[in-house]
Amino acid sequence: MTSQYIINQLVNGLCQGFIYALVALGVAVIIGIVGFATFTQGEVVMIGAYTSFYVFTSAGNHLVLGLLASFATTWILGMLIYKVCYEHFLDAPEHISLLCTIGFSMLLKNLATIVFGVEKKPMLDIINNKIYHFGPIQVTKVQLVIMATVLIVCLILVLVFTKTNLGIRLKAVSQNREAAALVGINVKTTAMVGNCIGCAMAGIAGTLIGIYYQSAYATMGSTLSMKAFTSATLGGLTDVPLSALGGVLIGIMENLGIAFTSASYRDIFSFGFLIIMLLFKPNGFAKKRGGSRA
Amino acid sequence: MIGTTLTKIKDVYRRFYYIFNLLIIIALMFVPQVFSKSKMTIICTMCGYFIIVGALNVINGYCGQMCFGIAGFYCVGAYVMAILMQTFHVSYWLALIPAGIVAALLGAVVALPALRMKGMFLAMITIGFSEVMRLLALNWTSVTGGAMGIKGIKSPTFFGIKMGGASKYYYIYIVIVLLFLFCTRRVMKSRVGRAWLSIREDEMAAKSLGVEIKKYKIYNFMYGAFWAGIAGALLAPYTRYIDSTYFTLEEGFNVLAMLVIGGQGTLAGPFVGVGVYQLIIETLRPIGVWRFVACALLIIVMMWLRPQGLVGASNSKLAGAGKKAGRKKAKKAESGEV
Amino acid sequence: MKRKTWRKSLALVMSTTMILALAGCGSEGSDNSSQPSDSGTTDSAEADGDFKGTIKFGLVAPITGAHAEYGQGFDAATQIAAEEINAAGGINGYRIEIEVQDSAADAKTSSDIFTRFAEDDEIMAVIGDFTSSCCMADAPIADEYGLVLLSPTASDPSYTGMSDYCFTVMYNQRDAAPWYASAVYDHYLGIDNYVCMYLNTDWGNSTYSYVSAALEEQGIECLASEAYAENETDFSSVISKLSAAGSDTIIILDQGNLPTIINQIKNSGWDPLVTSIGPGASDQILEQCGDNANGLILVTPSYITANNDETAEFCNKFYAINGCAPTDHAVCAYNCVYMLKAAIENIGDGELTRSAIRDALATATYDGMTGHIEFNDEGGVTREQLIMSVENGAWVIEENYGYE
Repeated sequence: MTSQYIINQLVNGLCQGFIYALVALGVAVIIGIVGFATFTQGEVVMIGAYTSFYVFTSAGNHLVLGLLASFATTWILGMLIYKVCYEHFLDAPEHISLLCTIGFSMLLKNLATIVFGVEKKPMLDIINNKIYHFGPIQVTKVQLVIMATVLIVCLILVLVFTKTNLGIRLKAVSQNREAAALVGINVKTTAMVGNCIGCAMAGIAGTLIGIYYQSAYATMGSTLSMKAFTSATLGGLTDVPLSALGGVLIGIMENLGIAFTSASYRDIFSFGFLIIMLLFKPNGFAKKRGGSRA
Repeated sequence: MIGTTLTKIKDVYRRFYYIFNLLIIIALMFVPQVFSKSKMTIICTMCGYFIIVGALNVINGYCGQMCFGIAGFYCVGAYVMAILMQTFHVSYWLALIPAGIVAALLGAVVALPALRMKGMFLAMITIGFSEVMRLLALNWTSVTGGAMGIKGIKSPTFFGIKMGGASKYYYIYIVIVLLFLFCTRRVMKSRVGRAWLSIREDEMAAKSLGVEIKKYKIYNFMYGAFWAGIAGALLAPYTRYIDSTYFTLEEGFNVLAMLVIGGQGTLAGPFVGVGVYQLIIETLRPIGVWRFVACALLIIVMMWLRPQGLVGASNSKLAGAGKKAGRKKAKKAESGEV
Repeated sequence: MKRKTWRKSLALVMSTTMILALAGCGSEGSDNSSQPSDSGTTDSAEADGDFKGTIKFGLVAPITGAHAEYGQGFDAATQIAAEEINAAGGINGYRIEIEVQDSAADAKTSSDIFTRFAEDDEIMAVIGDFTSSCCMADAPIADEYGLVLLSPTASDPSYTGMSDYCFTVMYNQRDAAPWYASAVYDHYLGIDNYVCMYLNTDWGNSTYSYVSAALEEQGIECLASEAYAENETDFSSVISKLSAAGSDTIIILDQGNLPTIINQIKNSGWDPLVTSIGPGASDQILEQCGDNANGLILVTPSYITANNDETAEFCNKFYAINGCAPTDHAVCAYNCVYMLKAAIENIGDGELTRSAIRDALATATYDGMTGHIEFNDEGGVTREQLIMSVENGAWVIEENYGYE
């Protein structure tokens, strides 16, 4: 087992981890701001991937255009999800909206199979791939583009949360809904915007995943939902930076695990990691701000 | 609307319940005579689901724990049964209970960390457990056959009659289903059941009244896991072939969907849920994948209109509308409607 | 106790009502189980009066799910075969009808569907399923009811032995492996070592064990091998592992994931000779890989195109229904219908029962697009294979049948 190989696995893990991180970010934003968990994140990713597939086939391989298109589509999808799964249940016990999101994810998945068909849609050569060598490290252009996109998106998100009015309203709603309502914030609209941001993150992740794995298909989101949740759990489900870190950790952990054992054990590593982590820190690593939401 | 008709039926049956029960049980024994064997396969599948959805109902519905990983216990029960029968040549009847017990022990194992967790975290750890069980089944080739699964599991014999095929195996299923109903009703009447209900409604209040939360949560998981394991153990000799693809998370979510549609927190809920769900799946077969769309829509509609399910516990937290409304409803309702 | 037993009674009454409702409006076995783009029973243009009666076959295949491409291929191919046979006057004057049911390659669903077929006295034989696991789950039921299960693609060596009623028109891995090793890898490719990645399923594990044993006998060394889960999407870790082993040849044992794997291999910067066993010369590979597929070598029992008079009609009809060219799997399904036809013709005027069909099938022969088909003692066949490669985005036959 050469060090070259381990480094390759680390790079693979890092890139996958970045993708998980982006999806996990979306989950954390949704749970933090809307207050309810979502099981549909994987399907939103899938819709994002299909959107960019159609953009690429009709308008050519323009990465930014694809990203913007999937951002917009999943934003609208986020509004729909909010109306169907969350708005009605804002005061209800959390399991009800959760079950609703499970139903919604089944709906999206099966509708996608019907509308888009069962075969995989090829997304080839959106980015002309090159391989770069930095010493012992080998990275492909696609991986670099993905990591850069994730970092830029995260940066924009941080700026929105800290510097803009909208961001401050979002944070207020995530900390205490009643208090936010008392100071005149429109909780419903703000929560909806929060949900839309989370879904749009997933949409961008979908485009990136489609480019990375060069195909889009209806069931691509299923395992991703669980991995994203696992990553977000690390951050106590609501903390955004920790969720992203969780995603990167899971990506690396899986790939290193596969390096030393076998590829069919991939999911054992992520779920095993989740279980072990939950055993030691039942509510994630984030510091609770008075009263657990979960 | 549903409430008043239920009350009317309740009054009628209350008087003649012994006779009605006996008639129903006799009628059930004649089912294989009435239906063709192909319909019997559907009925046997439904019976299998009655048990496992009932088991999930005990955990989610009666105790309010958010367990999404029922497929893990199902998997354990089925594999233990298959391994006992194939590798150790244990007779079917002797292997059934140990399969359930192993699943129950695993239920206790899962319950221990789950004691400290609530809501989403509990759901996540149960999902994690379910997947780990499936992956073990898929990868531990020497014991579970790995990707090859376990083939050629023999049908049981009952005093010389081979109980293979849906028409005969049905009798085993129906007896276990009735046994499950009987046991669960007795348990829910007892102190254990009441403790579970109190944990569901308000854990803090229950604790303050002296209910030992930890002990009862563990019992709850063990009980649900036991019956889920039994359901799996019944499945293996029925299909005569099992592999890890039978126990994916998706199967777990199907079970959850049936429970949610039918109703949580009541004995009848799982039955109605399985009935409705299988009805949709089977009758809508001609339209292909659209039937799953129909089921998904049904879940969403159910959550909007009646979150506790078609015949679920209306006077409980499961019916939604938050803490304030729940307390009002609890005051109005009769005690412990099961 | 009194007040609460009504709940139990209610539960039982309601479920009984559900069951009765199911009996009332449940379809016994629908004729159309596929999606809006439909296929299903075949109806010939002739009026029923022209035929003495109808013979029904069942088709259980994955119309939806991961193997939908192949299941839909079965559907289309059997449909074409049935139409052709009916247009030519049927079998011994009987019209044939094929009832299609979707198993989604799930063994439990497949055995339920097969039981339903078995219970339907009109079904005389069943064609299907696609995966060996489904076929092996159905085998005990075939044996119990005495209903022929003729699989177009079951290649697991233990399948045919499970019952006298189990047949397959696909070669089995145990017999094919020595040929792969000596003819393809040793003689044609002349390699010394290889790395292998294979699907962690029944088929994958079984094929791998036979192929690796045969290659070892030829003195070709395996430098590394990796199994991966069926739903795997990211193969970069597996590819890194295998590329680090230092071989120039990779053998991929898979069906539906091959295009994804090829793309990821090319993107990783590793440039081995990519060979595969399992997917057939499918158009989907070309479509999903584009230029990445160039240089791919694979083996397949047949390659049917529209360029050949004998096969053009089938190809065009298949293309009209499914929008892609047929793989060997679909052609096998077509052959299955004709094998059944040959069997029934051999029965002639005798009584047409399921066991009679089984006995006749064991000795039936058919010569079609893929050559001569005849079952051996076990109910399987041996088939020769083609060595094919992809050049400039198209399939090319490198070596014909009988290459050693």
